[in-house]
Amino acid sequence: MLHRFWGLALSSLLAGAALSAVPTLLGKPAPDFALKGMDGKNLRLSEYRGQVVLVNFWARWAGDSRRELPVLDRINTTYNRAGLVVLGVSVDEDVRRAREFAEGMKLGFPILFDATPDIGRDYSIEKMPMTILVDRSGVVRYVSAGFKPGDDRAYLDQIRELLRE
Amino acid sequence: MALAWAVGAGGPIAVADAVAPPPSSTPAPAAAPTAAAPAQAGGTQGDAAPAAEAPAPGQAAADFKSLDQEVQGMKKDVIDLNKDLFVLQEELLFPANTQVAVYVSMDVGAFFALDSVTLKIDNKEVKNYLYTAREADSLLKGGVQELYLGNLKVGKHELVAFFTGKGPVERDYKRGATITFDKGVGAKYLELKITDRVTKHQPEFKIKDWE
Repeated sequence: MLHRFWGLALSSLLAGAALSAVPTLLGKPAPDFALKGMDGKNLRLSEYRGQVVLVNFWARWAGDSRRELPVLDRINTTYNRAGLVVLGVSVDEDVRRAREFAEGMKLGFPILFDATPDIGRDYSIEKMPMTILVDRSGVVRYVSAGFKPGDDRAYLDQIRELLRE
Repeated sequence: MALAWAVGAGGPIAVADAVAPPPSSTPAPAAAPTAAAPAQAGGTQGDAAPAAEAPAPGQAAADFKSLDQEVQGMKKDVIDLNKDLFVLQEELLFPANTQVAVYVSMDVGAFFALDSVTLKIDNKEVKNYLYTAREADSLLKGGVQELYLGNLKVGKHELVAFFTGKGPVERDYKRGATITFDKGVGAKYLELKITDRVTKHQPEFKIKDWE
């Protein structure tokens, strides 16, 4: 019993520590980036100024990414017409295998590839996957590290709020 | 009054931080005096207190206009200050005696679609820039991009630029251009120019002093 208590306390502490680094992005302009997509075209985040953007940083080796990406695909299908832009950014160093993985997922939103540590550093990515929501002014309004059941509901609440602005 | 400013990223100052909130004694709209008993109620309420003096609609509008002008003036001051701070930051970070700037311009038609430019100075990569369709289009329409701004010591330096894109017949294309230049005591401006070489049906890449 005591063992379980300390295990729970320790995991809570670690979860808190993992998330505490992430909120430093909140309220700040999203660091800009330009990356090449699966279709060979370059996309730049700042060119979506004026729209609500959901950016998901993922990797094929992160189990939560495999669960989260189809959820984001459904969100994109529903809210794309309302002005939401969903971007998936692979931070996998092996771009070829990341591309194969993404092709297999058959996602309907742009997938970009970054094999350098630059974006991970700019966005302080410490836990994968990581999802951020950027408002129409380019400001980070929501950050979520990891993915567990129920997180999609939080995404939807935030997306609806930002789309209404 | 804390002044929060953001420079470099080109963002405007967070005006909300710099502008003091308007005084709370903003006159209420003309519909406000509901608590006062109407003076022409026929005298049925003998204990009616004298009606509170409500600001006339004209006065309220004038006060609002004055406040709006004041806020607009403060916003303009904040924007001017932001601009001055940005210029000062540039002068401090990139003083003229060490400043080097590299610009990109394009004058191509059919022979080259720009995808990226990589810049190396003295064998060290200083910039790798990916161009979106919108950015490449802007260059084609005559835009000039400040690709890199940095500091170099006085003396000889070598700049190498690699241009990646689609060449004639939609083939992948990568070319380099090199220049060795003398950095003097003043700021140095260089231009990477991409043009069509019609005689050879190829794009041409030049690096020259920017005039």
